[in-house]
Amino acid sequence: MNIFLLFGMGLFSLVFLCLYRAVFGPGVLNRIAAISAIGTKTLVILLLMGFIYNRVEMFVDISMVYALLNFIGTITAAKYLEMKGEL
Amino acid sequence: MISITDDIIIRTVSRVLIPFIQVYALYVIMHGHHSPGGGFQGGVILGASFILYLITHGLEEAKERMSELKAGLLSTFGILLYSGIGLLCLIMGRNYLDYGGLSTLLKVIPAQARSLGILGIEIGVGIAVMGVMFSVFFDISTGGILPEDEEDLGVNR
Amino acid sequence: MYILHIASIPFLLVSFFFFLAATVGLLRFPDFFCRLHSTGKGDTLAVLLSLIGLSIYEGFSLTSLKIIFIAVFMFLAQPTSTHAISRAAMRCGLEPWVKKKEEIK
Repeated sequence: MNIFLLFGMGLFSLVFLCLYRAVFGPGVLNRIAAISAIGTKTLVILLLMGFIYNRVEMFVDISMVYALLNFIGTITAAKYLEMKGEL
Repeated sequence: MISITDDIIIRTVSRVLIPFIQVYALYVIMHGHHSPGGGFQGGVILGASFILYLITHGLEEAKERMSELKAGLLSTFGILLYSGIGLLCLIMGRNYLDYGGLSTLLKVIPAQARSLGILGIEIGVGIAVMGVMFSVFFDISTGGILPEDEEDLGVNR
Repeated sequence: MYILHIASIPFLLVSFFFFLAATVGLLRFPDFFCRLHSTGKGDTLAVLLSLIGLSIYEGFSLTSLKIIFIAVFMFLAQPTSTHAISRAAMRCGLEPWVKKKEEIK
């Protein structure tokens, strides 16, 4: 029982709490914000999995790609809503 | 049609981040045998960087960097590289994509020839995936209607 | 390297507190802009703290350098994406939440 496992389990429960806003949140903007928060937490969970399995040099690349695609996806969704002009 | 963002924060941050994203994509392609990644994943990241450029800087500026003609040519060049290496192995008397046959051409031992052949395949797959991803996004975002359609398809050249 | 393992624990605990605060704000605040305010600030700080803690645990190596690169990337990218969404919401005509007049009295 180490600190990484406890921290990862805590983050896992927080992801489920964010999932409430992503499913029931009124409007598409709340859902985008919630999915961005879930992606941020997933990035840390991937690094923690690397520390738990002793394969950090492998998981750090996946984490980097996750951060990058989360950023590009959020920018794209915001641009789409801005071009559409209404909710 | 996507126009340039009139917000200086998004433009500046994306202009700073895009070269690092592309260097990271090349790292993912070249380092694919030792870490997760490879041709497809690196090509996706490379295509995503061009898509980010198109979103933040608009269609007019993005067409100067990467037009639809260039994307189509790059995707066909990637497939040509892939199948060319495969057929070269076939010519050398082995099976399709059996890189051991390249050892007499490259004048190295067969294990090293396999490594180099896999690297060539990965580069071809990466270029093809990048071109296809960019052209799919280009077609979806413009709806297939371009202002200077003939120029972009290379009809007048 | 035992002292580095001990030194990384406070970073993880503080970052977990900020993750918790950001999630509670995302669930409980009344308006989209308030929720974005909570996640935008809290998640950025929590990610920075947890990545710094993990790189301290790893020690000085190529992997910890990559983790620091992720931290720099998140430090640039997370406020930008938050700004982009809030700007799109303003362009779409979403009104910020205000307290009703009879509630103020």
